[in-house]
Amino acid sequence: MEGRIEEHPILQFKRKKKIKFYFEDREVEAFEGETVAAALHAAGIRVLRHTPNLGRPTGLFCAIGKCSSCLMEIDGIPNVRSCMTKVKEGMRVRRQKGKGDVL
Amino acid sequence: MNLYQAVIIGGGPAGMMGAITLGNHSVKTIILDENESIGGQLVKQTHKFFGDHAHYASTRGFEIAQKLDEEIVKNENIEVENDATVIGIYPNNTVVYIKDGQEHKIQAKKILIATGAMEKQLPFINSDLPGVYGAGAVQTLMNEYGIMPGKRFLIIGSGNIGLILAYQLIQAGVEVRAIVEALGKVGGYEVHANKVKRLGVPILLNHTIVRAIGDESVEGAVIAKIDDKFQTIPGTEREMVVDTIAISVGLTPLTELAEQAGCKVEFIPELGGYVPIRDERMRTTNPDVFIAGDLSSIEEATTAMIEGKIAALEMARDINGSDTKEEIEEELRTLALFRSGPKSVKIRSGLEKMGIKISIPTKPIINEKKEDVIGKLRAVLECDEEIPCNSCEASCPFGAIHIGENLNSTPVLDAEKCTGCGTCVNACPGLAIFMMKENEEESTVTLGIPYELLPLSEKGQKMWGLSKEGNYVCDVTVERVIKYPNKTNIVYAKLPIEFKDTVRHFAFPKKESPIVCRCEEVSLEQIEKVIDSGVTDFEEIKRLTRVTMGPCGGKNCKLVVLGILSRKTGVPISKLSHGTSRPPVKPVEFSVFKKGGDER
Repeated sequence: MEGRIEEHPILQFKRKKKIKFYFEDREVEAFEGETVAAALHAAGIRVLRHTPNLGRPTGLFCAIGKCSSCLMEIDGIPNVRSCMTKVKEGMRVRRQKGKGDVL
Repeated sequence: MNLYQAVIIGGGPAGMMGAITLGNHSVKTIILDENESIGGQLVKQTHKFFGDHAHYASTRGFEIAQKLDEEIVKNENIEVENDATVIGIYPNNTVVYIKDGQEHKIQAKKILIATGAMEKQLPFINSDLPGVYGAGAVQTLMNEYGIMPGKRFLIIGSGNIGLILAYQLIQAGVEVRAIVEALGKVGGYEVHANKVKRLGVPILLNHTIVRAIGDESVEGAVIAKIDDKFQTIPGTEREMVVDTIAISVGLTPLTELAEQAGCKVEFIPELGGYVPIRDERMRTTNPDVFIAGDLSSIEEATTAMIEGKIAALEMARDINGSDTKEEIEEELRTLALFRSGPKSVKIRSGLEKMGIKISIPTKPIINEKKEDVIGKLRAVLECDEEIPCNSCEASCPFGAIHIGENLNSTPVLDAEKCTGCGTCVNACPGLAIFMMKENEEESTVTLGIPYELLPLSEKGQKMWGLSKEGNYVCDVTVERVIKYPNKTNIVYAKLPIEFKDTVRHFAFPKKESPIVCRCEEVSLEQIEKVIDSGVTDFEEIKRLTRVTMGPCGGKNCKLVVLGILSRKTGVPISKLSHGTSRPPVKPVEFSVFKKGGDER
């Protein structure tokens, strides 16, 4: 699949089960154990959100759950850190627009 | 509420080592970690670590994490709670964390906070654009998940993280266009810089990034030269076509939880920013709370592990009266040794501001180089900077490498004792040791270099010998390839003796070769190959490659081909047969001939 490293001089990537999830209603393939942000990057998707005030596109920055740059709407819940959330079969992921609603 | 003897927040190198130490002293300990498995940032480090052989030197980061994890699993006093995000610390040592969408509270007699650090921001125009990452994020995607976020990279900052990232990106098969550094010298270790320079990555000193280019995602960058006041020099801006920008301008400690636990923090830039105040044994201003690792000062995984151990030994003393005095003193000595080199000046002055003085046990020594033994297969050590590492000395089975008491001293080789086994080449984390043997009678030298890239060459293969700056020097022939389990292989190749001190990397010849004959799409390389196989007649070259036989009839390329032939054979073009010119000299439709013509 696009963006995935197949051969590496030091590492071996043991990928788990192949699954499917949805990004903006589009079907995307991923492997179990990957984070949402990682799986989206593998599919060539880097824009994860648009900012509340200026509407600027924003993506992943720290990838370790600290910077809040990658917040997305996952299964209807806004402000979820896509870099810390593991992707699941059938998961519905959307770019977050604005700050997200409280319930 | 669950009452633990000790709770550790963060399962990176400091937290893991702290847990093992506490467990070994019979303290019931729980590690809370936000990730699916522990290991912290070690899991994405594919390079071998510097340091003391007794402290995992020469071992790759992710392997250190595996080893520590195995010890933790074995230790029945340690419990690990993964996917546990600590959100706050409350009075009475109460730690609150979220797991599986539920809030949990635990209390502990003592807390070790080892929350590490995060990447510093660098604001420039469009620095918030997707495609601008912290260096660590690129490492996470690439080395943890095997996912490459781009194809052409620009790296900002030449500290060890930036240098290591460049090397790792090339290992993974993508292009690094440049490393940009604001200062006038490289920030990280020289050996790390040399590793990427000889792969052809330019390190642009006194440069900065002005802006990222792109609407939805990075498509390029503008960089510029800066003066000694870090101001952009007008007219020096230039665009680079890159799709990813990685920022590695340093880390800053994550102090929020420590602050909530009542630990006093102070701004000490030498240590990375705001840091909790603590004593030599890692106790903060809250006597029940200890810290270790990058939270206490931005350093290496090795020092983080030692700090974790020191904190845990002191905690065990508090909790069950373990007699750990001697162990603590031993660890403090080791830590002081690690910090005694010239590269630790900043850390030492930062700690001094906190009242912690590092007594330097022995001064590092620039060991004087011994006279070389020409004509014998031996190691060549190119490690002239005082960094805390003795993996070469420790690895040598014949005692041929000497560093001495202070591991910051530079290594020297006793070439008489060296047997040419290559063990040190394989062990050196800086890839700064090479093998050499002069073959005087044939004016060649056999050079062995550490090789951690794919594909691996084979015996007899022709490669390019590259200089320390990554430029082509000469052709080399691979003599043998030795594979090692730790993946630092050694490639031996023969090259002209004149280049023995110049060539430091072997690369596969670039596949790109200019097209000479446009009509028949024949490259320079193809023509040269035919000539090299012994064909020196222009007509023969035509028939074998189809040069000059396309629609243009050779108007474009005939002279170029003759030039190549002349260069290869030494025969001037005027003396070469240049073939026969046949009609039609311009493209003509077949129907014209079918119709037949009239003769006037």
